Amino acid sequence: MKIDNTNKIFFVICLAVFFFLKVDAFAQQKVSGTVYDGNSDQTLPGVNILVKGTTNGTTTDAQGHYSLTASASDTLLFSFIGYTTKKVPVNGRSQIDVRLSQTTYSSKDVVVVGYGTQRKEDVTSAVASVSSGDFVESAPKDAASLIKGKVAGLMITEPSGDPTSGSSIKLRGTTTLEASSAPLVLIDGVPGDLSTVAPQNIAKISVLKGGSAAAIYGSRGSNGVILITTKHHKANQPATISYQGYLDVQQIKKTPGFLDAAGVREMNKKYNAGFIDYGYNTDWVHQVLRSSAPLTQEHNLTYSAGDAQTNYTAFVNFHQEDGIFKKSNNKKLLGRLNVHHSMFDGKVIGDLNFLTSIQDYPTVWNNYIWRQAYIRNPTDHIYTQDGSYQTRPQFNYDNPMSLLNEATGQNEDRQMRLNGTITVKPITNLSLKVMGSTSKWDQQRGYAESFQHISTLKNNVNGYASRGESSHTNSLFEFTAKYANDIGAHSFNVLGGYSYQRYIQQAFSMSNSDFPTDVFTYNRIQSGNYLTQGKASMSSSKSSYKLIGFFGRLNYNYDNRYILMGSVRYEGNSKFGAHHKWGWFPALSAGWRISEEDFMNNVDFVNNLKLRIGYGVTGIAPSDAYQSLASYGLGGKFYHNGQWVQSFVPARNANPNLKWERKEETNLGLDFSLFQSRLSGSVDLYERKTKDLLFNYTVPSPPYLYDSILANVGTMSNKGIEASLQYDVFQRKDLTWTTKVNYSTNKNKLVSLSNDQFQSKNNYIDAGYIGESVQLPTHRVYVGGPVGNFYGYKSVGISSDGSWIVEGKNGKHLKYPDETSLTDRQVIGNGIPNHNVSWNNTVKYKNFDLSVLIRGAFDFQILNYNKLFYTNPNYTQYDLLPSAFDKVYGKRQLDSEWAYMSYYVENGDYVKIDNVTVGYTFKVDQLKYVRNARIYISGKNLYTFTGYSGIDPEVRVSGLNPGDDPRDKYPTTRTFTIGLNLKF
Amino acid sequence: MKKFNIRITTLLFTLLLVMVSCTDLSENPYGEITQKNFNPTQKDIPRLVAPVYTPLRGFMACCYGFVTMQASASDEFLTPGRPNGWGGPYIPYHRFKWDPNHPYVTANWSTFYDGINAANRVLYQIQSGLVTPSSDQAKASLVAEIRAARAFYYYLLMDNYGSVPLVTDFQAKGLPSQSSRKEIYNFVVSELKDAIPDLPEAADQSTYGRMNKWAAKTVLADVYLNATVYLDDTPNTVENTGSPQWDKVLQQTNDIINSGKYHLTSDYHQNFSRDNQNSSEIIFAVPYDEVNAPGNTMHMRVLAPVQQQIYGMKAQPWGGSAAVPQFINSYNSNDKRLEDTWAGGPQIDAAGDTLINFKNNLDNIEQADFDQGWRLTKYEIYQGMSYSSDVDLPIYRYADVLMMKAEALLRTGRASEAAQIVTKVRQRDFDDPTKAEVTGAELQQGSNYNYGYWENGQVTNAQGGGDIKYGRFLDELGWEFAVEGHRRQDLVRFGVFSTKSWFNKKASVSRPCESVFPIPYPALNSNKNLKQHPCYQ
Repeated sequence: MKIDNTNKIFFVICLAVFFFLKVDAFAQQKVSGTVYDGNSDQTLPGVNILVKGTTNGTTTDAQGHYSLTASASDTLLFSFIGYTTKKVPVNGRSQIDVRLSQTTYSSKDVVVVGYGTQRKEDVTSAVASVSSGDFVESAPKDAASLIKGKVAGLMITEPSGDPTSGSSIKLRGTTTLEASSAPLVLIDGVPGDLSTVAPQNIAKISVLKGGSAAAIYGSRGSNGVILITTKHHKANQPATISYQGYLDVQQIKKTPGFLDAAGVREMNKKYNAGFIDYGYNTDWVHQVLRSSAPLTQEHNLTYSAGDAQTNYTAFVNFHQEDGIFKKSNNKKLLGRLNVHHSMFDGKVIGDLNFLTSIQDYPTVWNNYIWRQAYIRNPTDHIYTQDGSYQTRPQFNYDNPMSLLNEATGQNEDRQMRLNGTITVKPITNLSLKVMGSTSKWDQQRGYAESFQHISTLKNNVNGYASRGESSHTNSLFEFTAKYANDIGAHSFNVLGGYSYQRYIQQAFSMSNSDFPTDVFTYNRIQSGNYLTQGKASMSSSKSSYKLIGFFGRLNYNYDNRYILMGSVRYEGNSKFGAHHKWGWFPALSAGWRISEEDFMNNVDFVNNLKLRIGYGVTGIAPSDAYQSLASYGLGGKFYHNGQWVQSFVPARNANPNLKWERKEETNLGLDFSLFQSRLSGSVDLYERKTKDLLFNYTVPSPPYLYDSILANVGTMSNKGIEASLQYDVFQRKDLTWTTKVNYSTNKNKLVSLSNDQFQSKNNYIDAGYIGESVQLPTHRVYVGGPVGNFYGYKSVGISSDGSWIVEGKNGKHLKYPDETSLTDRQVIGNGIPNHNVSWNNTVKYKNFDLSVLIRGAFDFQILNYNKLFYTNPNYTQYDLLPSAFDKVYGKRQLDSEWAYMSYYVENGDYVKIDNVTVGYTFKVDQLKYVRNARIYISGKNLYTFTGYSGIDPEVRVSGLNPGDDPRDKYPTTRTFTIGLNLKF
Repeated sequence: MKKFNIRITTLLFTLLLVMVSCTDLSENPYGEITQKNFNPTQKDIPRLVAPVYTPLRGFMACCYGFVTMQASASDEFLTPGRPNGWGGPYIPYHRFKWDPNHPYVTANWSTFYDGINAANRVLYQIQSGLVTPSSDQAKASLVAEIRAARAFYYYLLMDNYGSVPLVTDFQAKGLPSQSSRKEIYNFVVSELKDAIPDLPEAADQSTYGRMNKWAAKTVLADVYLNATVYLDDTPNTVENTGSPQWDKVLQQTNDIINSGKYHLTSDYHQNFSRDNQNSSEIIFAVPYDEVNAPGNTMHMRVLAPVQQQIYGMKAQPWGGSAAVPQFINSYNSNDKRLEDTWAGGPQIDAAGDTLINFKNNLDNIEQADFDQGWRLTKYEIYQGMSYSSDVDLPIYRYADVLMMKAEALLRTGRASEAAQIVTKVRQRDFDDPTKAEVTGAELQQGSNYNYGYWENGQVTNAQGGGDIKYGRFLDELGWEFAVEGHRRQDLVRFGVFSTKSWFNKKASVSRPCESVFPIPYPALNSNKNLKQHPCYQ
């Protein structure tokens, strides 16, 4: 080892480790032999052979032959790129021939981790990696859709059918009360989000689940880190053009099933229900649904070419999607270019990435229209006899066709990302990298309502228009230095770096009304009167923050048996209070590859067995900037001597102690692979403790300026188990079948809501809200209890006069609401599934392939808002569900106001056939230009087995009110896809 | 390789620069007023004083403002379940089942303390010289005004919540503890007395919506008027045994009357009209403006949704609250205040069509159709109204002063003098002036109000009001000040609050402590020094 200034430090570390070196005292002998490929029996040149535990080694010659000296009790390690390393004990032999088997999925075995990659067997933390071959193929909404059901402990749902909405993600339980729960998403190392790049442009997704892996990202790491690696041209591959495209058609998962006109009349006759019969017959839901099947088309083209020195990848994505409702669609065009340049024998490498996208979508459709469609009296007309919209004076009851037809609105979202890296390798094993990146996203909005819109028909405002713009810019500079070296059985990898990030957000908007005509829509906003009269709104805003970090990591591997990783990030954020501008985020993890131990040499059925343990500290910063500074806002205007004077009022207390939420996570894991790797899997146990929970605490005012303060107070804990098991059922030439099950469970507890400064008597937090007359929170989190508990009245029966009978706090049966008070509410369920299971199957038969994804969630409840509001026969001014007239508890019809009863909290358990894809890969051997051709058909959200009576039991499970199924939700859809992949 | 080394040196040098200059984490608040970028000047004084008054704008707010809080805890006003919602928290509230988390209880506590906080802050800013008024006199007058306004908030806290934390020092650290109701009373009285000499006497645009001398005196008179309640050592009994202060009521009201600054308007309605800032009767008001000072949404709360068409409104009303039927029945049929205050019967649009017909009956507090219950139209309903109304809320009118004086006279054995004042107040409300006349003997009679539980359109278990001492005078207060935020206090003072039933609220003599609301949960929760009133524990 050459010692120079650059690696002096490493030398010191090496010295320390040398103490552990074993000195072999046995007699030496000559060992020789030939190394073959296990399949083809061809000899392998260039195979590395090392005497285990020493630096003594050699490589095979052109004929695959080798020779070295070793002692009789030594073990030889045969390693070669693309092949599984084999350990062979000498056992006194002098001639040892070895067959190496090719590593299947060799690219998979490199796992992307923070600021680098690792061999899969070196990973000591809970990290999941999914490559494009294993992605869920049908109509992905965003990057998360690709790995839905693929990663244990990562719950990905698509709670809405809205073409502009994305996936909802939750990792390892609820860890925060009020801070963001969004994971950090990095695209080739640059922050973005799940929809920054097109799913088809993604080569690999890594999920850093464990705290020890995420800690290198400091105060952004608590919600897990999703590392997206995009597709790049591989050196020395021919120039290719590939096309991936699909068409899909969607249908509403289930219509809400309200009474039609005949049903309304029948209920009037049968039960004297009290619906007004306007004498007509309108299917309102049918009116707002698209008349023809909503189609989606997506096309992706990838060009890539070049050699090891210079190569490029260009990518174009076009996506056009119609939602199930009229005026609900989404169109996006995205282009991306990557240029890779290598010079001076690979000593300087430059990478340049450019991405731009334009997205257009109307903003007319909203959930209120949807509600108005299904609750509107089906005996009513759309239009009056003179052709204008039929309006009715009832409250919150508007003609949905006026709302839908008489509004125009369009958003245009644009993003531009430019990033480049320069990597310099001045000496062997050392690489220095500089990365600079700027990403800008901006949105332009326009929205207008005509004179025939409800806003004018009912509210007499003479038209409405608004325009707005928002943007955010994220600039990043990063410098990293890496040094790696192997000394005998010791293998090191050291990383150090600096990161600087600046984020700026800006917005501007205005609205106006009282227009002379509605023909301008939003294109001549100055022609209205409201803005000058002070009756319309105009606003602008700007905010920014900075995030600066220093980080380092050491990976150490001894003899492929003992693996150690230590990392630390020292990070500062301008959002933190003056007393805590900087924080430390350390991590330590270790792995023991038991299968590599000598005593395992004779245990043939074990191919890999690794025990991992890790501990890491991560954080979440407050969501908004300036939260630590006291601030005055603009209060109401004040009548001062005949003038209206703008007041300044306190808007925020100062909190110099404001800092990040600190999450400490311990992870214990076991990876195994048995019976020639036919059965493999892993089990992880974790405990995450979030301290210094960010929450807007109520404080007495006076003495505080303002009656709440964003502070770090409480503690929350999550404990859980994740397991995944994969089994190759068949491994024949023409037929393979791999089945994989993922399971996770998590136990959540709010440990405390007090600290030295804030000693609240409070032992709970309320969340969620049922509007209109109920006006109660839906959830309550008690200290000592879990997040997600529904908190309402426990109904047990119905009285002879149709009132609810509820179980009061002392167990007595009370008549609601005469005999009850708010304190009679109790926990009536929990909205977070206790068990999550997903089951993936991949079958390949000759040229056919089939994949089936079945997911299930168990042991949780859903609050069905539609049932609460629309199975109450007292509210016939709105259309109702047919079950409104059924007997409640088998006794009689309900005769009560709207109320939050456990009767409306249903079990949500479900099993969903989430995805089935059948593909056929054509034989292309005979074709000159085609390298690959595959067609597939696929179905998404196909069928759900559940007892839940609402539209879809897969509701939002994040936040503090999980399990709420609000009545206005954009319903989920079922999708059928036909797709084609071609590669030239 | 030389070239190469230069590259590295350049790179490392650049990096060093970056490292040194870029560990700066200072914040740059663009659109915010923080301590760093705000140095108030004399011009800013009104902007800083403003928050002392602006919390009052919450008084008419939907849905938990002060005015309906007082009215709904009384025999004049209720909010039943309606076809579009409502009911909910208003149901237990009507039944006097008060919870420390009830939005009325929590919202108003915050409103009052917002004002107190602002007052403490501005006093600190003036006294520490952070802002300097133009002269010593201006300073004295401003300090007096803010102290009087703060005393008004403490009076409201004392009236509604009994014993509350008394904080007067902006810089005080640590969590305050509760002062007794009596201590708050003494504080309010002494603050007002201190402030009055320095307060401006003008009663015009320059003091409109603010504390002038006469407004402060009216507050003081009101505090004295209720002294038997506030100084009561046995709050758990119905009787108000506090030491009476009737002479002091007379002294303060006489001062105001003798100043000649205020007069009864000829038309009762003028006090609640769209331009009521011009009323010569209003002593202290909350100014509202559709554009500049939004927040008066009473019309949205009371009108039926269909009435939007009658008034060409720019927002559809929510149609919740209505009069207690028994209250409507208590009016004298010749009293024009009935129709000046409430809308009953058919509501007709411009084309002459009846859109809705209000009945003076409601099924029950849980469920009532839109046409059930008379609607409050006292605060002017005008064409083209939007979400917010232009009508100002009078907190104290000259009629208050007169009626306070009358009550003090009545309670000190000078009934006929009291009757003369009451007659004077009533005269504008009757076409036939003889019908307006009241005698001292009449004022000493019981109430006309037919108390009792309401079921199926009538009173069951009638209690009546004949046994209420000075009940006839209480009725008079009800008619004159309906839904002006007085009724709860009056019922407590006359011993009616917990002893009578009306509509779906039952008498609950066993818990007279209900005359104060519970300490709100968020307050208890954030300050461990606070203790809940015993009867709410």
